[in-house]
Amino acid sequence: MMEKEKLRKADFFSGILIALFGVWIVKEAFKMPMKDSWGGVQNVWFVSPALFPLFVGFVIIILGAILSRTAWKMVGREEIGKVVRWLLSRNNVAFLTSASTLRYYAIVTLFLSFVYLNIPRIDFFLGSILFLSVFITMFYFDDDGILKRLFFFYLAGIAVIILFFATGLNSFIHKTIPYPGDVLALCFLLSYWIYAWRLVRKSPALRKKFRTGMIIAVATPFLVILIFKYFLLVPMPTEGLVIEFLDKVWYLDF
Amino acid sequence: MVVLERITFYFETVLHLASEPMNLVILFASVILGIMFGAMPGLTSTLGVALLTAMTYGMGPATAMVCLLAIYVGGTYGGSYASILINIPGTAASAATALDGYPLACKGEGGRAIGLTTTTSAIGTIISMLFLVSISPLISYFALQFTSFEFFLLAFFGILISGTLTSPDLVIKGWIAGFLGLFMACVGRDLLQFYPRFTFGFSEMDSGIEVVPVLIGAFGIPQIIQVLKERLVIGETQKFQRILPEFGTVIRNVPHIVRSALIGVGIGSVPGIGEDIAAWVSYGAAKNISKHPERFGKGEYMAVLSTETANNACVGGAMIPLLNLGIPGSPPAAMLLGALMLHGVTPGPMITFEHPNFIIEVAAILLLASMTMWVVGMLLAKQVVKVLRIPPPLFMPIIGVLCIIGSYSLGMNVFNLYLMLPVGIVSYFLTEMGYPIAPLVIGVILGPMADENLRRALMVSQGSFVPVFTRPVSLILFLIIVWTLVSQFQFFRTFKDKLVNKLLRRKSCESELAP
Repeated sequence: MMEKEKLRKADFFSGILIALFGVWIVKEAFKMPMKDSWGGVQNVWFVSPALFPLFVGFVIIILGAILSRTAWKMVGREEIGKVVRWLLSRNNVAFLTSASTLRYYAIVTLFLSFVYLNIPRIDFFLGSILFLSVFITMFYFDDDGILKRLFFFYLAGIAVIILFFATGLNSFIHKTIPYPGDVLALCFLLSYWIYAWRLVRKSPALRKKFRTGMIIAVATPFLVILIFKYFLLVPMPTEGLVIEFLDKVWYLDF
Repeated sequence: MVVLERITFYFETVLHLASEPMNLVILFASVILGIMFGAMPGLTSTLGVALLTAMTYGMGPATAMVCLLAIYVGGTYGGSYASILINIPGTAASAATALDGYPLACKGEGGRAIGLTTTTSAIGTIISMLFLVSISPLISYFALQFTSFEFFLLAFFGILISGTLTSPDLVIKGWIAGFLGLFMACVGRDLLQFYPRFTFGFSEMDSGIEVVPVLIGAFGIPQIIQVLKERLVIGETQKFQRILPEFGTVIRNVPHIVRSALIGVGIGSVPGIGEDIAAWVSYGAAKNISKHPERFGKGEYMAVLSTETANNACVGGAMIPLLNLGIPGSPPAAMLLGALMLHGVTPGPMITFEHPNFIIEVAAILLLASMTMWVVGMLLAKQVVKVLRIPPPLFMPIIGVLCIIGSYSLGMNVFNLYLMLPVGIVSYFLTEMGYPIAPLVIGVILGPMADENLRRALMVSQGSFVPVFTRPVSLILFLIIVWTLVSQFQFFRTFKDKLVNKLLRRKSCESELAP
């Protein structure tokens, strides 16, 4: 959590955002049937589906406004003005590029790419190893310089995967080679491992961390898939190259 | 006779559960896992319950409860390990324990401190279990008299009180979080007319927002971001000798244990208030009552004993509103509510009719879990403490994968993941800006209950709010809500102070004029 003074300044803006969100809820709620007929039922205000969202929306507007007003009274116009000027100036670039913010970008990018890009398209086993390898190496080495390099390498790889699927190359290659997306992910994973190894090979301590991290990155998805897919019978979100091979091994389906 | 029958049935249930080898394996494994989750800074018992819910998918309700309650009890207790040995609270619930537990470990009395917390945590859970069994029929009886207005006001009160007491900053932020949760509960087709609200044409959102992914996102993702962004470093673990049960210290402090357990049960039964508040209140009460308050913070056994009894007593306390009213008493209890619904058990006043033995079963599981926790604590503490050596950058990514597979496997729906992640990122920002997450989650859970009962009540009264003032329980709830709201504003505090001063002055004048 932030310091008290910073919190009050942030409260002013978050209060406004919350009040605006409340306005949007109310606006949407007014589109719902209040007195009209819906599904053959003639509405009255007290059974309308809009009643509760309207109540919630109005309360959110009031609470957001009170929060902003409280923050304004505590901090004052001058301080709020300073924050606005800082937001509009180039000084905030230092904050946006700080090591702590970079770590935040790295975590969020990893999650976003795993959930929205890899899970629906790439074999879950491969996707998980990639996620864990990148996540562990970025943070376990505890070096902001290495984190930055690995992060940009990962971004480049993600850009390639996005292009591969967005341009329809996946469907095109699929006609001749099975699991093209998985093969690409495997290539990316191997190149990431090589790149990370090259970065840490001169330091024995980091080399040891790299080995430990990679063992965990491979063992965890294996255990997770074993438990969920074969004991709890939960099909994985995407089953491709590796999981189909595991299926064959598990069910002795050769 | 009825009481005797219930007691007999209770012990029969304990024996029945304990006689099944599979239950015992699950019990021990879950307690150990719970202790590990509690002990590792950055992981919480709520997250443990959330992640394990997915694993209980194929189990029966009783076995699932064995698993989840054991991890809840173990997680609440496990936090004390990190507090005592490395001065970093494993969970928020054990933050108060660190104040005196760590100085004790520095003096070389870490083993005694862990022995004491193990015994008092078990006693706290057992006392709360006794309350759960004895109070539940009474609450259930009263809850059956409730109509829709009472249920709406109860849900509303739950969100407000949770927002008021859990907010780390301004109270209004707690309320905002609660109402944001209520908004999330509005998403999907409404329960009375089946009208799609805030679904934006996505058929996946028609059934509303799934509670479990929201819970996993709200508690798991911010935790991962915070720990890795702030580079949480776990310090050197203090060495400790043999762990002893410390029965002598326990017997000497029976009144303090009972008081702390009562505080834990009381706070646990208030909707949405967790073990952390119970521990702090109990710590404060112990310090006020102590003959040597100056020893607090320097390694006082009474302090360690009071916080650990209270936070574990909170577990049973949180189950009282959960099982009888369908209102979770703490964040892990909110997760349990989601798990119960997954297993076809709907907590609320009807639970005594639909599942007559369920509350007794839960109480029996709590007893078994606390006993297992005691055994594990006494025998395996030295081994379990080794998990504190695992650096966060190694276990946090694994938690990330478990959050993802846990959200997905409940319903086998990738859309749950699309929902879990934004909820997690927004929750992180809210946490950073001092908004509590517990009211948001309570809002998501109680939203459908509030919405449905408000409209049903108004349907019966033909749009009139008069029954709120004519029904005694409604009126009391309404007045409590108004008091909770108004008492947070400055104008009310000023008015109250003026009124009290005026009354005091009048009283002193009258006493001066009196012959």
